[in-house]
Amino acid sequence: MELLNDQGLRLDGRKPDELRLIKCKLGIFTHTDGSAFVEQGNTKVIAVVYGPHEVRNVHRAKTSADGAFVNCQYSMAAFSMSERKKRNRGDRKSTEATIHLHQTLAAVIRTELMPKSQIDVFIEVLQSDGGNFAASVNAATLALIDAGIPLREYVIACTASLGTGNVPMVDISNLEESLGGPTLTVAVLPRSSQIALVEMSQRFHLDFLEPVLKMAMKGCDYTFKVLDMAVESYLSEIGKPNNWGQA
Amino acid sequence: MLTKKVFYKQSKKGTILKIVREHYLRKDIWCGCKGCVKCALEEKDMILDACPVSKCSLLSDPHYIFLDTNAVLDQIDAIEDPYLENIIIPQTVLDEVKHRSSSVFKRLKEVIFDKKRKIYVFVNEHLKATYIERRVGETVNDRNDRAIRKAATWYQEHTGVKSVLLSDDIANREKAVEKGIFAFSLSDYAEATDSATLSERLCAKRWSERRGEDSTDVFPAHLPPAAVHHGLKAGLLLQGVFYASKENCLEATVITDKHNVLIQGRASLNRAIDGDTVAVELLPKEEWVAPSNLVIESEEAEDEVKVEREINEEERQVTGKIVAIIHRKWQQYCGILQLSPIKGHTYHLFVPAKRHIPKVRIETRQGEKLASQRLVVAIDGWPRHSRHPQGHFVRALGKIGDKETENEVLLLEHDIPCSKFSDAVLADLPSNDWTITPEELAKRVDLRNIIVCSVDPPGCTDIDDALHCFKLPNGNYEAGVHIADVSHFIRPGTALDKEAALRATTVYLVDKRIDMVPDLLSSNLCSLRGGEERLSFSCIWELTPNAEIISTRFHKSVIKSKAAMTYEAAQAIIDDVSDESELAQSLRGLNTLAKVLKKRRMENGALSLASPEIRFRVDSETHEPLEVVSKKMRETNSMVEEFMLLANVSTAEKILEEFPEVALLRRHPEPPPANFDPLIKAAHHQGFEIDISNSKKLSESLDKAIKPNDSYFNVMLRILATRCMLQAVYFASGVTQRSEFFHYGLAAPLYTHFTSPIRRYSDVIVHRLLAACIGADATYPDLMDKRKTDKLCQNLNYRKRMAQYAGRASVALHTHLFFRERIENEEGYILFVRKNALQVLIPKYGLEGTLLLSSKDKKNPSPFVFNNDDHTQRAGDIVFHAFDRLVVRLYVDRSNVQHERLIMNLVEPSIPGFSVCSLGDLVPTEEEQVPPPQVIS
Amino acid sequence: MAGLDREDIGDKSVSASFRLASDRISLLTPCEHPELYTPGQDIGPETGLLRGHGTYQDNGRIKASVAGVLEHVNKLIMIRPLKSRYNGEIGDVVVGRITEIQQKRWRVDANARLDAVLLLSSVNLPGGELRRRSVEDERMMRQYLSEGDLISAEVQNVFSEGTMSLHTRNLKYGKLSQGVLVTVPAPLIKRSKTHFHTICGISLIIGTNGYIWLYPTPKSTEEGAGGFARNLELRVEPREREAIARMQCCINALAESRMMVYDTSLVAAFEVANKFSVKELLKPEVKLEIVMLTQHMMGLNC
Repeated sequence: MELLNDQGLRLDGRKPDELRLIKCKLGIFTHTDGSAFVEQGNTKVIAVVYGPHEVRNVHRAKTSADGAFVNCQYSMAAFSMSERKKRNRGDRKSTEATIHLHQTLAAVIRTELMPKSQIDVFIEVLQSDGGNFAASVNAATLALIDAGIPLREYVIACTASLGTGNVPMVDISNLEESLGGPTLTVAVLPRSSQIALVEMSQRFHLDFLEPVLKMAMKGCDYTFKVLDMAVESYLSEIGKPNNWGQA
Repeated sequence: MLTKKVFYKQSKKGTILKIVREHYLRKDIWCGCKGCVKCALEEKDMILDACPVSKCSLLSDPHYIFLDTNAVLDQIDAIEDPYLENIIIPQTVLDEVKHRSSSVFKRLKEVIFDKKRKIYVFVNEHLKATYIERRVGETVNDRNDRAIRKAATWYQEHTGVKSVLLSDDIANREKAVEKGIFAFSLSDYAEATDSATLSERLCAKRWSERRGEDSTDVFPAHLPPAAVHHGLKAGLLLQGVFYASKENCLEATVITDKHNVLIQGRASLNRAIDGDTVAVELLPKEEWVAPSNLVIESEEAEDEVKVEREINEEERQVTGKIVAIIHRKWQQYCGILQLSPIKGHTYHLFVPAKRHIPKVRIETRQGEKLASQRLVVAIDGWPRHSRHPQGHFVRALGKIGDKETENEVLLLEHDIPCSKFSDAVLADLPSNDWTITPEELAKRVDLRNIIVCSVDPPGCTDIDDALHCFKLPNGNYEAGVHIADVSHFIRPGTALDKEAALRATTVYLVDKRIDMVPDLLSSNLCSLRGGEERLSFSCIWELTPNAEIISTRFHKSVIKSKAAMTYEAAQAIIDDVSDESELAQSLRGLNTLAKVLKKRRMENGALSLASPEIRFRVDSETHEPLEVVSKKMRETNSMVEEFMLLANVSTAEKILEEFPEVALLRRHPEPPPANFDPLIKAAHHQGFEIDISNSKKLSESLDKAIKPNDSYFNVMLRILATRCMLQAVYFASGVTQRSEFFHYGLAAPLYTHFTSPIRRYSDVIVHRLLAACIGADATYPDLMDKRKTDKLCQNLNYRKRMAQYAGRASVALHTHLFFRERIENEEGYILFVRKNALQVLIPKYGLEGTLLLSSKDKKNPSPFVFNNDDHTQRAGDIVFHAFDRLVVRLYVDRSNVQHERLIMNLVEPSIPGFSVCSLGDLVPTEEEQVPPPQVIS
Repeated sequence: MAGLDREDIGDKSVSASFRLASDRISLLTPCEHPELYTPGQDIGPETGLLRGHGTYQDNGRIKASVAGVLEHVNKLIMIRPLKSRYNGEIGDVVVGRITEIQQKRWRVDANARLDAVLLLSSVNLPGGELRRRSVEDERMMRQYLSEGDLISAEVQNVFSEGTMSLHTRNLKYGKLSQGVLVTVPAPLIKRSKTHFHTICGISLIIGTNGYIWLYPTPKSTEEGAGGFARNLELRVEPREREAIARMQCCINALAESRMMVYDTSLVAAFEVANKFSVKELLKPEVKLEIVMLTQHMMGLNC
């Protein structure tokens, strides 16, 4: 199976620069400070935010007067893949994703405004079909916005790779990831065009880095537009009954 | 719009997985027709004619042709015929073909690529209007057929032009007609056109439908795939590649992982053809046989095989029989037609040029016309009841025996790309008046003032290498090798680069040279011609007078060669004591150092082997061979060779150090001891022992094996030794174990090819790697990918082999041509003794031939008796061993126009009833001898 | 598919109802809104404007850092998020839970960013007078308030980092005894003059931090909700329990539809909810109906 056929279409019928269908919803849980659900194609991710609140006993050592302590956790549900696989919380992939998530979110959360407190961000991947980490970052952003935590701006992530004939493709599904070569994941701050995280699974030649990176950033821009619209619509929904807090 | 594809798959462990995949439906899939107003087509996508003219009598309206999967799979040759145009291939069909047969898929893709055929691939799976889902209870095949019909109906509505579905599936055709689409089978459609070639190319499969001949089964049936799979898993069957014997058409070997299995006899061969992957069942040990010592050239001689001979226990080899063919590897074969003896019959036998392919039965109405031509034929199948495989005619090459035709056959058989360089390739060349720009000069080291010279065979126009040498103040020497900087002109990824990578090497035939790169580069801009400034890649050493390397450096440079000499001229300058010019001193320095280097190499165990080196002197006008001349080896040959070897070794070390994963190197594996058996046995018979424990011992034993009164004996031994060697191959360093890197023949731990980039593509890659090492050039993605490098090496090895065989075949061809006009008596030596023949080598012509000892004439049986123990043939008092000297008579038998053969007859030693005397008459036997006239007293 | 009710199985009356998520109806619909800002959105040039909460400065421009509505008071620019944790202000009445006992103070969870502190010197000790806090008092802290106890208090002070300092130096504040705690998001609580209400037959404390305490109205005024006394022996009548339960459902219904929770809206909601039995109030459709009717009653536009 080739990633890009002669007619310019990918395995699922998309063109190389087309993203999968994005659906999202904020505020899905009532008992949390912030929550969001993001679907990108068949990848479905829930993000939940608690905080800012007092640092819990376990993390007492990490209380800092400089700013809030961000506690992330990334986990995949046992039913998220084709085969049911129960993962322990501490397995390598999850730990790595947690660290990356921490790095990404630390770039946008204005922790200096909330000293001595703790913000929890929990990600659960319900269905995994490629681009899990990217969807997680997007869901985390939405959940943080829902919780009213001050952010520098959105952080949006997207994947990109190289298709047959060295054509850059955006938003890689699981099938394309397993068949093809290296997958580049990039998390950007769209309004200021800064990069928070770049990660790649295998190797390709330096010559290809620029086109693939550009393609991924274009994908991030498009995703940002979709998510921003969703946030605005959500805000207008929940603000109406109480007139947005205005007198 | 988005739907999803859900299906269930079974994983390796046996669990059932549910796979859910997205499937996007689009609206922007266009129809590909010129002038369609509904679709937003770009110029390049308008492939189909707006009003396609009908070429078939079955339907006179303009129509587009839709192909079904089975039509493509079975009739790919007919589809390749350029007659049919305006064809639409739905994506469903394309995917199915890819899934079922990758070779047919490749050919289909090439056909689609040809713009003149006007073939359009319609992505019906992703267009909203033509996508269908599988109904409950519908099989996948039915669903695909329905999808194809839906696509055809959509086209009819969308464009208003009728659609015609060509399918061999009757049910599909019926349903299509119900929907309002015309449907025919491909064969009916083809026959209704007025193309002669189209119907010829129709697959033989349909013949079996209307054949009326009796179908007694000649061969045992093949096992079904499930049984084969089961057998392989259980270890009862072995899988391997089938190699037919070139000498004996009823014998073959299957090389499996565990053994090399011998197959003998038609029933055991069971319709396998050389190159197929087969499943073989081993016979019980009692039935094991040994390879036949016979040379059976055609099947009619098979009846003689029945002669049982005593087989030694130790000679028995693992024997088996073929029970199934796993994978066919049929190609197109060159050969000639053997006309059917019955006049007016359309079935003929095709005789392939390659002896290990059996004769093929084809049907053609042009039998008379083709009888004198060389043909290309493809095999379709080999049913059980048929003595021969069935095939069909593809194309004709030209008149047999015609030098041009034979040359073309040669090139075709060896898969040598010999077409003219395309415009795209020529566009990548620099202009004719190219000179070295100042910017380029600034990037390089300027060596124009150094005395550089080149030494090459006479008439050589592609000068790759030049040398220099002078003494340094500290008593050491500086020596340098300068190679033409081809990689500067051939940039990666260009059409020129791709063509060169495909050709991989320049092919040297007797009268022609097929260049790897166009003439402008090979003979002019890259060639280091005398007196011209040229770009080069230099490798410069500081050497002690004892030729030890103190330091090595590489750089890109500009040189100006002082002189481009022949070996003879250079030798003359060295020998001329009165010549004290810098050039002469440089040559002498090189010569001295080269001698030291050679001695050191020999001490390390390098082998110096021999092959019959001859050259044809060809008439410049008629290009007919005039004379055979053998090559002379002078000191200067060795001088150049030593420095080239040194440069190659230094380069290999450098690129491996820098690029441990992707360095392109060359290795020569040590031959397994079994390979040396014929050499050891033959030498042993003559009283010499050959030690093969390592290359040094081998070299020494060969040096000692000299017969004082027979100078050619040692040469013959070396020739035999060459036959025992394995091929040297290119490889990528990341793909092979470090312990396998050595070059046995040169006794070098590392080796590569650096010194001839004009005629070898491997050298171009090494140049690029080396340039990256010294920072003179950037790398590019494919260079750093070891899998791509490995694939490239495989192509290089294949092309090199084919070029070698082609070169040899060209020499053989010219030898044939040479002997057409004459009969010669020449001295020869026996290379091998076989049961019914002697393999004789004629040193003067470098020719190897077979001297048949058996006789077909029952009245005159062969006087020879074969002794298996000491491999000799006896006739009366005369015994023939390997390495014995003979005199034979050579001539070409042109009695059979289609099969000219070089015949050898024995002259000396004279054996009555068998050998011929110098005038050509058979020496009479004692009985026949006319008694001397009686004196009547 | 409507809810399936299974009533009266044998002796027990069990009522289980199931709803599909796809059938969920929400009163929340997107509509006309004032200027909404999302994080990172540019508000204006920095010159001449004062930055307030929810904004930050970047490269000479002021940008929003939360998603919310723009508020400006003269030159002060603020973005108020629609959801956030409680931000304490001096004088607010809060309901909190003791989480920890430290030296000379209790830590109280008040739904804010950081736990509030209740200093030992800020409470009324039994006995009522002002006396010096002795060492013994310290040891007796646990006897006054232990972990898990609910208290009502007033915000005396807010430290720079955001920690609130509470006091219960009033008889109306103190440990809470029998009742029900309902949590709503803090922004839905209006700041009003008084937070202690007695409506519809029950008493409630509407904490500004979103914690609402419902309790039976005490018979005598002496036993205020303050002090450290806790009367767990008190018997609460079924009628009162029902009223409390009904009020709890009303509060939840209003909170889910994001209506402001204050005495007027609660009275209106309670009145509307009287139509239904308390059990029915748990059903989503009923909650919606209550909200709609409440809005109608209060003259708000839907």
